[in-house]
Amino acid sequence: MQQQPILVLFLALAGAATIVFIYVFVSSKKAAQTDQGMSNPLKKRFWFLLILFVILGIFTSVTIPKSPYYLFAGETPTKVVHVSARQFAFILSEKAIDPKNPSGENIELPANELVEFRVTSLDVNHGFAIYDDSNRLITQVQAMPGYVNRLQYKFKKPGKYDILCLEYCGMAHQVMKSTFIVK
Amino acid sequence: MESIKIKKITSVWIITVLLLFVASIVLGILMRLNQGEVISQSPITFYSNMTTHGLTMIGIWFVAGMAAVNYLMQRYVKTSYTANVFALVLTVVGVVLFWASTFVGKFHAAWTFLYPLPFKDMGSETWATILFLISLTVFGIGWLIWSVSLMAQILKKYSISQSFAWQHLTKNPTVETPPFILITMVTLVGVIACLITAVVLLVLFYAEYFSGGSFVNDALLMKNLTYFFGHTIANEMLYLGLAVIYELFAEVSGRPKWKTTWYVALAWNLSLVFILTAFFHHLYMDFVQPEGLQIVGQLASYLASLPAAGVTVFSIFIAVYRTKIKWSLTNLLFFMGIAGWVIGGLGAVIDSTISNNIVLHNTLWVPAHFHTYNAMGNVLFSLGFFYWFSTQFTAYFHNKKFTNSILALLLIGGTGFLLAFYVGGAESIPRRYSTYPAELSVGVNLATIGAVFATIYLIAILMFFFNITKRCLKILSSTS
Amino acid sequence: MLKNIILNIIAISLCNLAIAQSVSSDVKEESNIYEQIYDAPINVVGKGQVSFQELYNQKPLLLALVFTRCSGVCNPFLFQLKENLALKTNDKSFNVLVLSFDPRDNMTDMSLLAQRFELENNEQWFFGTTNSIEELNQSINFYPIWDSIKNQYDHDALLIGINNQGYITKKLIGVRQGHDLDLLIASVNNIFSPTYRLPNKNMLFSCFNYDPKTGENKLGLGLLFIALPAVLTVLLLILISYLVKRKEPKNKEIF
Repeated sequence: MQQQPILVLFLALAGAATIVFIYVFVSSKKAAQTDQGMSNPLKKRFWFLLILFVILGIFTSVTIPKSPYYLFAGETPTKVVHVSARQFAFILSEKAIDPKNPSGENIELPANELVEFRVTSLDVNHGFAIYDDSNRLITQVQAMPGYVNRLQYKFKKPGKYDILCLEYCGMAHQVMKSTFIVK
Repeated sequence: MESIKIKKITSVWIITVLLLFVASIVLGILMRLNQGEVISQSPITFYSNMTTHGLTMIGIWFVAGMAAVNYLMQRYVKTSYTANVFALVLTVVGVVLFWASTFVGKFHAAWTFLYPLPFKDMGSETWATILFLISLTVFGIGWLIWSVSLMAQILKKYSISQSFAWQHLTKNPTVETPPFILITMVTLVGVIACLITAVVLLVLFYAEYFSGGSFVNDALLMKNLTYFFGHTIANEMLYLGLAVIYELFAEVSGRPKWKTTWYVALAWNLSLVFILTAFFHHLYMDFVQPEGLQIVGQLASYLASLPAAGVTVFSIFIAVYRTKIKWSLTNLLFFMGIAGWVIGGLGAVIDSTISNNIVLHNTLWVPAHFHTYNAMGNVLFSLGFFYWFSTQFTAYFHNKKFTNSILALLLIGGTGFLLAFYVGGAESIPRRYSTYPAELSVGVNLATIGAVFATIYLIAILMFFFNITKRCLKILSSTS
Repeated sequence: MLKNIILNIIAISLCNLAIAQSVSSDVKEESNIYEQIYDAPINVVGKGQVSFQELYNQKPLLLALVFTRCSGVCNPFLFQLKENLALKTNDKSFNVLVLSFDPRDNMTDMSLLAQRFELENNEQWFFGTTNSIEELNQSINFYPIWDSIKNQYDHDALLIGINNQGYITKKLIGVRQGHDLDLLIASVNNIFSPTYRLPNKNMLFSCFNYDPKTGENKLGLGLLFIALPAVLTVLLLILISYLVKRKEPKNKEIF
């Protein structure tokens, strides 16, 4: 549930920006011919920039360590799932998937344990996006031909999870889907 | 004589852009209606329309910015009429070839044509991919020559350091570089860099296509090149719009012209660096990309906002705040466009944070933010220029009702249309889905709402279209 | 001019392509990852019988499966492994176990093998046999086939990474170069590499090559293509500036 706070943050910032623009516009409409505009603009510009810089600096230092590349560092996954995406299906298997003769099986994963998806593609770029049972995107990685991306995740809730493709891959992109169970 | 020629060609550019704009909006509305299950298109039709919509929009707003900059540049240096005509012809030829590849050939690999999708583009004609690549080559050649020609004209009058306003970083500059020249120069460098990237990308595509399978590309390299080109051109076209604002905002407001100062010079030089490195944020979810570059991506995306907000936005505030100015449709569009650009920028900064990107990447949040600073930002910059240009040479009376209704329709249509995207993004609705699976049915309703508001936006654009086209046609038929 | 440069680079690159693509591809490498290896009793030359667990608990292991009468891949495989590891003299984070999968091999055979490779006094290398080779083979999905005509086993050259808890972290099939070995060593030490490349793909234009030794991506030839446009633009800028300045006096009348 990361998305709701993001939307609220955005709407708040957008609202604040709108108010500032309206305020500035109204001040011009109301201005008398003699008004001199903003006083000390250079000083104000400096403070505005400094505050913005500090806010962005704080944001950077808080968010960068939360990047997916640094999560679960040093932990050994208890389970590995091999994923091969192709037009227009995901093949999931606990065993390695032979690109010449790909086959998969139904997957069940343990809850609250670290799981690793080794994601690749057999043809074009695909996305490997995991949606929980309330249809919310919880994590994702790209499936790129020639590379294996290792996505690690700990599922907190047992239940059915969907996999959708989040990189446009052709005419049946929208029906590319798979599921797995977390127990 | 020269000034008539440039007037006429600028009019042709404006009419062309507006015609293609209306057509592309219609395609966009059809896409949202299909997602809203109001109409039913085959997925191939949807995706080839999506490809047409995306690349046409990028193309027209790029050339709109270029045409405006070319026109205004006449005030400082002489520009090449031949290069301008050449670019126009190649743009039109490119559009014809490109539309043939999508509408007839059903090419549908999206405007990002991410390797190797164009080679595995099922359901399209066999010739569609190569025709698409040729159309891109035609655009690339025309635009590259145009940009190089404009740059050469600037460099005839200003030295390299003057064109980048480096002398303003010293204590007492003796020569003044107009802000318009500085911004145009910075933007042209970025434009040329991304067009050269497109050339490299196309050469690699052709190499694989004509090698018959013996030469294979690296998907990661191709993706980096694609976004270097795609992200940068989308960003630079916005900066072309800003160059116009720096030149015209004070003028149409009846205020003294903006001057280049040390912080303006510094900000724009820094922007150049950030713009060329920010594209890495398109590859956050490719874990194979070195972590260093991922972090450069986030930092550059953040830092790009500092000179933009600190200088351009703040300058607009200084110009407007408690200052009696002459408001007209032109500077109102500029002012509103800056607001749209800022709000879209906020959405972009949120998405360019790696830890947010993992739940936003390739959801509707992405079209949400870039439609904000295009449809409610850059487009308004160019429309402001179009309106100003067309009213320069034709009988013009200020029609308050027309101004207000256009602005109101743009604002209502734009806001509703964009909110449907943002909410969709927060609801994890994927972008680039022709229809939504049953469990994402909230996307269906949002799409319908989006289509309704986009239609309101379209009405404003149509009013504009008739108003401006009428004037531009007059300019074309006049002899002086 | 620009196209010429690019075409030249492509031409040079194409010549190298054949070399770049020689690595064999095998998906079997991906099987059994993070599964426990069978805890077989091992007879180690000079050490006597120990359990597998004792060995991997001591230090993570690289397990090489060979047989001494091999006329095929085993010798070059071991030789290459020795040569590659000799370059990593400072890395003592793991041991190497050379284990015979041929029931005919006894301790003398293995001791002779160690001597042949001059590894009998190397503390990092163990040579041994086991009575439970079938169970072990099963746990790692390794099935050599006896060819009675050639009187040889038909088998892959297999190197397996085992971390100090006995989990299989990575497999390498075939005689492989330093880079893949680095990935293997990183994996037995539980160093996470977020991605890896599949073998048998064009590696030439790769932008980045993951370097497990430092945990960083080294820049590849492909990166040149990303930096190229910016460099070309700067050069173009300087060139244009030079050309227009030189022409200026002549053209002043016209413009």
